[in-house]
Parts: sequence; C-alpha cells; structure tokens
Amino acid sequence: MSNGGGESGEKECEQSTKGRFGSGEEFGRAIAKIAVAQICEGAGFQSFQSSALETLADITIRYIRNLGQNANSYANLAGRAESNVVDVFQGLEDLGMTQGFIGLSDVNRCPIGSGLVREISQYVSLEEEVLFPFNVPRFPVVKERKAGPSFLQVGESSPEDHVPDWLPKFPDHLLYVSSPVWNPRPLDVPVDKTDLTKEQKKVERPLMNLQHQFTCNGSAPPVFADPGDAATTKGAGQGNPFLSAPLWFGEKEVTPLVYPAKLESHPQNHVLEERVAPVIDKVKSSLDSEDSRNKIILNSRPSVQFKLGTSKKLLTSAMGLSPQRKTIEKTACCFESDDEKDEKKRGKERIVKGPMDKTQELDHL
Amino acid sequence: MNQNQQVNEGSRGRQDDDAALSEFLASLMDYTPTIPDELVEHYIAKSGFQCPDVRLIRLVAVATQKFISEVASDALQHCKARQSAVIKDKRDKQQKDKRLVLTMEDLSKALHEKFHSPAMIGAQSPHAMVDFGENDAIGDRNERLDVKGW
Repeated sequence: MSNGGGESGEKECEQSTKGRFGSGEEFGRAIAKIAVAQICEGAGFQSFQSSALETLADITIRYIRNLGQNANSYANLAGRAESNVVDVFQGLEDLGMTQGFIGLSDVNRCPIGSGLVREISQYVSLEEEVLFPFNVPRFPVVKERKAGPSFLQVGESSPEDHVPDWLPKFPDHLLYVSSPVWNPRPLDVPVDKTDLTKEQKKVERPLMNLQHQFTCNGSAPPVFADPGDAATTKGAGQGNPFLSAPLWFGEKEVTPLVYPAKLESHPQNHVLEERVAPVIDKVKSSLDSEDSRNKIILNSRPSVQFKLGTSKKLLTSAMGLSPQRKTIEKTACCFESDDEKDEKKRGKERIVKGPMDKTQELDHL
Repeated sequence: MNQNQQVNEGSRGRQDDDAALSEFLASLMDYTPTIPDELVEHYIAKSGFQCPDVRLIRLVAVATQKFISEVASDALQHCKARQSAVIKDKRDKQQKDKRLVLTMEDLSKALHEKFHSPAMIGAQSPHAMVDFGENDAIGDRNERLDVKGW
C-alpha cells in the first residue's frame, strides 16, 4: 500500500498517455483536478493522494462525457440534432440507474417530474457555492494557420495561366531544377588526385551552395547512390554530423592508404595481366571510392584496411580462371590477411559489400 | 370520459412539471457550479452534445458536481471509519491521524458502492464506463481501484 508505488505507477501511466493526448487534454485534466479538489475540500477532506485525485478527475471527465453522449443519443433518437432539457434528464437517469431515485419505478413518468429533478434542486439549494478560483479561457484554442505570401503580395504575376495570382507563391525555381552532375573522378592511381583538388573545389563550391539552399528550404537531400558521385553528394542540416557537408580531399589529414603489398608487386602472368589487370583496376577504384565514402561517413580515421573477406568467393568467381587459380587465391589470401586485422571494424562490411556487389558484374568480363 | 379525465390530469401534471422545471432552471442560474462552464462545454462537445443554451451546460455541471460530492462524502465516511478503528487500537497515534486524506483505498470503496449493484453488474462499473478511444490508459488506472493495497 506504498504511496510511492502508487505514484510511480501513475507516472508511468501519465507518460504513456502524454504522448497520445494533445495539449488541450492536459489543460482540461488540470482544470478538472482543481475543481475536484475544491469539491472534496468542501466535503471535508484536508489533503489528497495525488493518484486518488487524478483518478477522481478522470472519473469526472468521463461522467461529463458520458452524460453528453447519453443526452445526444436521446436527442438523435427523437430526430433532433440539438439536445434539450429532457434529453439531459434522460441521460442523467441512465447514469443514476444504479443508485436509483424516487419515482424511478413509475413507468409512465416524465423525466422532468422525476425525483431526479428534486434531488438536484435540493442539492442546489442546500449546497454552498464554491467558486472556481481561476478564470478559465475557452479551450482548445484554435491557432490560425498563416499561409505563405501570395503572388499579388510579392508583386509577381503567376507564371501559369491556370494559377491565379491570389494563391501562394511558388518556391524558387533553383530549388527544383536539376543541376548538371559534376563529371566523375577519373579512375587513376590515387596519386593523381591531389592535382585535381583545386579544380574540383572551383566547380563544387557553387553547387554546394545551391544544394545547401536547396536542403534548407525543406526538400530532401539527394540520395548517395553512385560511388563516383561521392564528392558531389551533399547533406545539409545543421547539427546532424551525418548530414553535414563532406570534407574535401586534402582538407583533413588522412592516414595514407595501405594497400596489401602483394597486390602491387605481385608478379602476374602475361595472360593474367590481360584479364585480371582491368579487374584489379576496377577493384582498386571501387575500393578508393569506398575509402572516400569512409571519409564522409566515419569521423575518426584508423588506418584503412580493405576488408575483402567475404569477397573471396566473389573475386574467385569474378576471375573465374582455372589455370591461374593458384595465383588468384594467393592474392585473395593476402586480402584476407588484412581481414583478420580488420575483424573488429564490422561497420565497413556493409559499405564494402556495396562495391563488392559490383565485382560480381565483373563476371561478364 | 375516463380517457378525457386522464388526459386532463396528465396535462395538469405536465403543467406542474413545466412550472417546476422553469423554477428549477431559474434557480440553477443563480448557482455557479464549481466545475467551470468552459471545461464542461469542452468535454460535452467532444461527445457530440450540441446546445447553445448555457443553462443546460450548468445543469450538466451541477449534476457532475453532485455526483462527485456524493463520492467524496462516501470516501470521507470510509476514512473516518478507518481512523476510529485505528484509534481503538493505538491511542498514541490519535493525533497523527486527525488529518483527513483522500486515499485510493477509500475512493475505490466509495466508487464500488456507487456503481456496483446486483442488477447492473458490469454495466455501470468504472471499468465498463464508456470506452473512449484515447482514454484506454485511464481504464487501466481505474482497474487498479480494485487492487487492495493501493
């Protein structure tokens, strides 16, 4: 029978209901609590348990709503939309059935002439008036929606004939016009990238400004789909680190990429070179783009290890060259060794699987 | 003849009733109920009750106030009864228990008396009061009224 237990239980209940009720409900409930407290004080209580008070306030509200529903249904039954006194009394009778009142047994009675009226009038005459202490405003307050400026208000004329001038203005055309996509980075060795940085910046800045404006006005940022477009993908949104603009290459010090040693220096057969080299190039490029993606997504920069453990099958299937399998497996193995080091960084797996899916397309080479 | 007499009596009865009603409504306007009109208006509007007449809103408010005061007085009786029982056991704690507190226990007993009757089991109990869509959580709360020890 601990009060604390009751209180915490009530708090849980309140939290669950708070999400469902609008602000109008909370206000009404608070007012009801005050009114009920005053009535109980008039009855003789000096203090209340908060849970008991809240329950009684709930019951009050339910009673009011019940009475309203009953009265309304009786009015509708009589073919009226608006209720009158008789409907209210009939509703009261329904609610007072369990207690009963004088005259309830009389079948032919009129609800007005029943004992109910007498009881209420007795109550009114005997009971002391206890005024509600506060001035209650009309609630819930309906907020007027402010529409955007119309064409006329801004001084423009609508671009289309079928759109009248008194309607709200269209948003800025730059926001929905598609801008040309910046050409993807050439698939060279990473060393070449540093030369292009400045040129990239020249082209990218205005685009970035536009897209920042674009996203600030409430439209969704473009989805990051193509790894080649990694540099062009922008995210706006202040305060969300995942949506902030990506860093430019060279802006932040990045640990150098550590390629598996054997990949670069591995002696390749002549035949293998023809077929595997383009594959390896593509893998490198996809890994680079993956790396750039990592730059965007990860804030901290541990040494980059390319995780290709799951790709062993893919690589071997992609290569698909039986006589050269031994050499291929060796390269796959050296990828795997990096894997073992990298086992803790599971987050990259998902990212890796993206470009790795593309190596499956290399089957068709 | 009989029918005429009955009709006459009925009409006279109705006239009396009308007079009583108008008298009652007039007295109602003098009395300001504790439950504010705006609150009552808001909640009965939610259930579809449409009426521009202030007197009806006052009537609903007065009826609700009467109901709540009855529940409160019943709870007070329970509280006093419990206190007198306690005083019999321990005279030392007499001074402590002078304070009258509305507890869940007393309230649940009072409400149970109010709603529970052999004829209307389940119909008018607090648990079975009209189920408003958004008030389901309150139903849970009311169910706890029956739990001894709250």
